[in-house]
Amino acid sequence: MAASNSENDSKNEIPSSSEAEQPQFQAIRMPTMEEIRAQEVWNNCAVRSVVSGVMVVVIFAGGGLGFFMGMFLGALDNPIMQDEMTGRQQFVYNVKQMGRRSLSSAKAFAVMGLVFSAVECVVEKARAKHDTTNTVVAGCVTGGTMSARGGPKAACAGCAGFAAFSVLIEKFFDRHT
Amino acid sequence: MAANNTPAGIDKEQAFGMAEAEMEYRVELFNRLTQTCFNKCVDKRYKEPELNMGENTCIDRCVSKYWQVNGIIGQMLSAGGRPPM
Repeated sequence: MAASNSENDSKNEIPSSSEAEQPQFQAIRMPTMEEIRAQEVWNNCAVRSVVSGVMVVVIFAGGGLGFFMGMFLGALDNPIMQDEMTGRQQFVYNVKQMGRRSLSSAKAFAVMGLVFSAVECVVEKARAKHDTTNTVVAGCVTGGTMSARGGPKAACAGCAGFAAFSVLIEKFFDRHT
Repeated sequence: MAANNTPAGIDKEQAFGMAEAEMEYRVELFNRLTQTCFNKCVDKRYKEPELNMGENTCIDRCVSKYWQVNGIIGQMLSAGGRPPM
């Protein structure tokens, strides 16, 4: 804009004339079209939710969470070993069970992360406000869909539980920054 | 008819005056717009240095509405000469 250009010119002249002053004023730099487009990419709800889902999977797999969860959940319901299988076969079978279980829980977590992020993004865009209400609604929808198989009561319980959990996590992260 | 410099009565002084008035108007508009939308959309308790998505959307809408209103009022004032009351 012409106004900002004139402001740029006037601000550029000042530091050269008064060099004794310590704080050198920088001219206002308007963002270029590329910067605006880059920001717009991150503001897109689909992109954000997909990235969140992928991040959940990466943290799950890379952090060893998947390994431990598979191990514990696999140890919980250990099928009665037949006598036919040797020790090594039992070990291989157990490892495969662990892998299958951790994969399924990774998928569940990824879906949860994706749905939560997508709903929060859409709600925040609609309201044009940054609030905890967005987190509550997103948590409720996510919890509700994850436990919708158990009927309406389970859906309500899942909604309330996950909403409370996500608000706690949000407050925890806010206190650190 | 000398129609090359169409406004024959306007000399350089007047042109400069008009350009200066236009520039002041633009600067004032920009400052007012920024201040209004910032005060409306951005929460004063700064938790992070970047605009989050809610604030971004709010600013988009605020600027668009401000610009529309400015255009409409400008048209009304320039067409009528006096506001139709």
